[in-house]
Amino acid sequence: MTARSCFLSALLLCHSLVAVSKATVPQRDTLSTLRTVPVEASRRLRDTGLQKIVLDTLVLHENISHSMAEILTQNSAVFVKSYGRATESTAEFRGTSPSHTQVTWNGMRINSPMLGTVDFSTIPSHFIDEAALYHGASSIPLTGGGLGGAVEMKSVAPQSDGFGAQYVQGIGSFRTYDQFLRLNWKGRRWSSTTRVFYGRSENDFRFTNYDKKTDVRDSQGRLIRSYHPTERNKSGYFRDLHAQQDVFRTDNRGNRYAASVWYTHSLRGLPFLSVDYKEDSDFRNEQGADALRGILSWNHTRDTWSTCLRAGYAWQDIAYDYFTTRTDMRTDITHSRSRAHSALVQGAADWMPAAAWLLTASAELRYDHIRSRDRSPFHIGQNYNLGRAETSASAQARWRPVEPFTLAAVLRHESFGSHLVPPIPALLADYVLYRPWRLTAKASVARNCRHPSMNDLYFQPGGNPHLKSEQGFTYDGGLEAVIPLRPWTLSGSIACFDSHITDWIQWTPNAKGYWEPSNVKRVHNYGAELHLQAKGRVRAVEMDIAGNFAYTPSLNRGERTNANDASYGKQLPYVPRRSANLTARMGWRTWTLACHWTHYGQRFTTTSAEADRITGRLRPYYMTDVSLGKEFRWSWASANVRLAVNNVLGTEYVTVLSRPMPPRNFEIYVDLKLHTK
Amino acid sequence: MGVSNSLPTFSTLSRSMMNRTGAASSTCCQESRSRASKQSFRLSTAAWLGLLPMLTALAFQSCNGIGDENDEETFTDTGTGVFILCEGNYQSGNSSLSYYDPQTRKVENGVFQRANDRKLGDTGQSITLHDGTAYIAVENSGIIWAIDAETFKVKGQLTAGAGNKIVNPRYVHVANAERAYVSDLYSPFITVFNPATMQAVGSISTQQPQAYGYCNTEQFVAYGDVLFTNCWCYSRSILVLDTQKAEVTDSIVLTSWQPKCMALDARGKLWVITDGGYGTDAASFGDNEPHLYRIDAATRKIELDQVLDTDEASVQLALNPRRDTLYLVNNDIYRMGVAESHVPVRPFILAPVDAKGRRHKLYGLSVNPRGGDIYVADAVDYSQSGVVYRYSREGALRDQFRVGINPNGFAFK
Repeated sequence: MTARSCFLSALLLCHSLVAVSKATVPQRDTLSTLRTVPVEASRRLRDTGLQKIVLDTLVLHENISHSMAEILTQNSAVFVKSYGRATESTAEFRGTSPSHTQVTWNGMRINSPMLGTVDFSTIPSHFIDEAALYHGASSIPLTGGGLGGAVEMKSVAPQSDGFGAQYVQGIGSFRTYDQFLRLNWKGRRWSSTTRVFYGRSENDFRFTNYDKKTDVRDSQGRLIRSYHPTERNKSGYFRDLHAQQDVFRTDNRGNRYAASVWYTHSLRGLPFLSVDYKEDSDFRNEQGADALRGILSWNHTRDTWSTCLRAGYAWQDIAYDYFTTRTDMRTDITHSRSRAHSALVQGAADWMPAAAWLLTASAELRYDHIRSRDRSPFHIGQNYNLGRAETSASAQARWRPVEPFTLAAVLRHESFGSHLVPPIPALLADYVLYRPWRLTAKASVARNCRHPSMNDLYFQPGGNPHLKSEQGFTYDGGLEAVIPLRPWTLSGSIACFDSHITDWIQWTPNAKGYWEPSNVKRVHNYGAELHLQAKGRVRAVEMDIAGNFAYTPSLNRGERTNANDASYGKQLPYVPRRSANLTARMGWRTWTLACHWTHYGQRFTTTSAEADRITGRLRPYYMTDVSLGKEFRWSWASANVRLAVNNVLGTEYVTVLSRPMPPRNFEIYVDLKLHTK
Repeated sequence: MGVSNSLPTFSTLSRSMMNRTGAASSTCCQESRSRASKQSFRLSTAAWLGLLPMLTALAFQSCNGIGDENDEETFTDTGTGVFILCEGNYQSGNSSLSYYDPQTRKVENGVFQRANDRKLGDTGQSITLHDGTAYIAVENSGIIWAIDAETFKVKGQLTAGAGNKIVNPRYVHVANAERAYVSDLYSPFITVFNPATMQAVGSISTQQPQAYGYCNTEQFVAYGDVLFTNCWCYSRSILVLDTQKAEVTDSIVLTSWQPKCMALDARGKLWVITDGGYGTDAASFGDNEPHLYRIDAATRKIELDQVLDTDEASVQLALNPRRDTLYLVNNDIYRMGVAESHVPVRPFILAPVDAKGRRHKLYGLSVNPRGGDIYVADAVDYSQSGVVYRYSREGALRDQFRVGINPNGFAFK
């Protein structure tokens, strides 16, 4: 630890202690800086047996510069594999792969039809009002294919009547500028939310490059000394523009209409590896992406039944260019273009024939068309130009025969192209063991399937049209409780799971230098996830402390490639066995202090999990982020000024080999809110 | 954040605490002191709980994710060992260098990083040994290292950038003490450099299209004043480079795509093996059928064109020390005299087969000029440490050992 980081930590500690000591004076302020979240005390039939974590607006809207990747990293047991700041970040539940995480936005699945994954770094957290994580079998009532789980993201209609406006301006290290504007309006029937976000950064942070060493030699060529150079992150710039419009309408006949449109334009340099000696000024290595997602929905609710219809469309255009920009030499390495169109219609109905029963049926038809090609000379012809229809239908029944016990059965059936996916059944149950603490035992057992993505099947070279669907069998059990111990409310959950996935699709390099997928693996995932939270108020200090811990062995049990294959029984590459995070938020009067601590255990980089090889593992790391905010309030407006210090201790770490991560960095932002009625 | 939707909120708790504080205001002083004491305790507890993450972080502050623990090791090997270059995985930066002593049968892995306290780079493509110096082209790092063959210490380096036209260096050919050539996957130039100073001294245009054209060059084979270099990537050309004129003067166009390896036998015949591209159907590139060619180096006429079996592994080519016997990898290992007119039907060495009948996919091939031992690499699943087999020239297995990821190149001291 350097003297600077010691000093900084000490300063923050002192500041925290001073802030708390001031709290000994009784205060009347109710800490309006911490936002209200609706409370639902009753057990919902719909949530029967679900291992579900909800992320509320307090978490989602804490930091303007955060994408959903940072939110998941800091607040869940999900492992986020990040290639760096504003670069691809995927989420993995319970040691599965990123394509085993299904993601929905306002009911529409937004996993890339090409890759099957979602890049969470492209989703600004301020664009999401509610998010929920469904672990393991709990994702099946929502969608199929979530062998690891699912993330559900929603826009929510404004809660306050009248007009509201919010503008956030952030300025941070590495020439980072974030702007966010939100306009709300709520009338008697109609309401609207408009959001615009623009973030840009040169992201050229400096780091000590331990992968390189500079030799200093004398005029005779003799080595005098050598040192690890300080370098900057090359080609890491990004410009992200997002605009979203949500319109809601309700009436007194049980109808609720919603329309959401979300446009994204991003231009991101692809950072050079820490072992790359080329000059970034000689190259253009960037990815541009435009995406448009729109969804219309109609909900109709009656006393005992409700229906929902949705229609959605998504378009995505991705361009990846890599070429030299030197005047004396031109070479075109990659000019890749991919365009995807997706359209879907959904229908769902709930019926409660009795208070103890909830019956649900749903159906979805989706069509994806993709044109993928590369104009560079090193690829000949189109990668592919194909369309594919997918269907998904489910029947769900939930039954509470006696008050403490609830049972749910789900049967889902899916198809892609002309292939039928085997049925996806799930059985979930919960039992209230002790009502005052809402101590509930939960269990589920399910079989799940994920069909191959379009790239898995058709990408040239490498695509394998003979791939089979991945199949998973999983069962889990756990406890959940909410314990009121005034002034504290303690809540938590623990879940143990066991999962077997067969025909795991894995892309591996081949002898000719390109990558190809095959159903090579059988993977056994098991382990435990723990979530604990304590909320309370001691005199004027409000506290919210939440932590997650995950133990997720994810072992390859597939057939050996040959007798030399040492990967059998080994932890999958880049999946940590242990991960944890802890978040503490304190509020006093108009001040708030938040501290996030994240830990990932060691991760192997090879299939054979050879820790003794120099590049065979990534060492564990611990990350601490702190932010301090002060709110100023008037009758018609409020302003919140917040200073965030990320990586407070200046930890030097990587999450992927040769991908340096930012050192200590700062961001200050001003959040202005206007309220009228 | 909470479990399900059912947690109390700050505002709920705030109201609860406000009510409790208001009710307490009418109690006696003693009770107030008692309550104040309890609340002070609670406040203290709250403060500590709130600061717990920071304290925990401080406790772990020394556990950085990376660091500089790898100091330079000292090696001194004057023996006649073999360097094995392991290319690693593209975009992972985990290329490595192993060193094997056939006398002691001892292997040292990761010697470049251990000797120099720096990584070799991303995708080590080739290693060339000349006059006590090993030149290692690390393709996606844009660097050519020069290391001492005895100490493994870096003597110099040539990096892509101003002053040269290197992009992704592939192979090095050292012509003499002052002149060496480096081929490139993406550059339309062959760079000429001084191997003593590791300074670029010029470049030779491949006369391939620069924009939206194929311009890569691969291995070098010297024949008098001529250098042959094959264009592997999406091409079927072999360029003829006149080293006196420093220009490309001719080319040989093959019938098969992607010439991958070349060797010149004792009779002046250039042997070339192609991988046939990637095609498995009409929509993809090539036909995936490797070919073996014998070309007269003087007349540049193709004398032999034999279609080989579709390869599940990596086609490779090597000559014995007398350059009168050809070895090639085409799923198995074949041996043929350079005067023969076709590849034998029966393999010389069968690729190892495991108990379930799965044949190992061979990745690298080379022959030790001292004694003629044959070295063959198995990349296993391309994502873990590979295995090198050492056979005698009669084809008897002498040794096998683990090296780095994707062993693809050998250099014999």
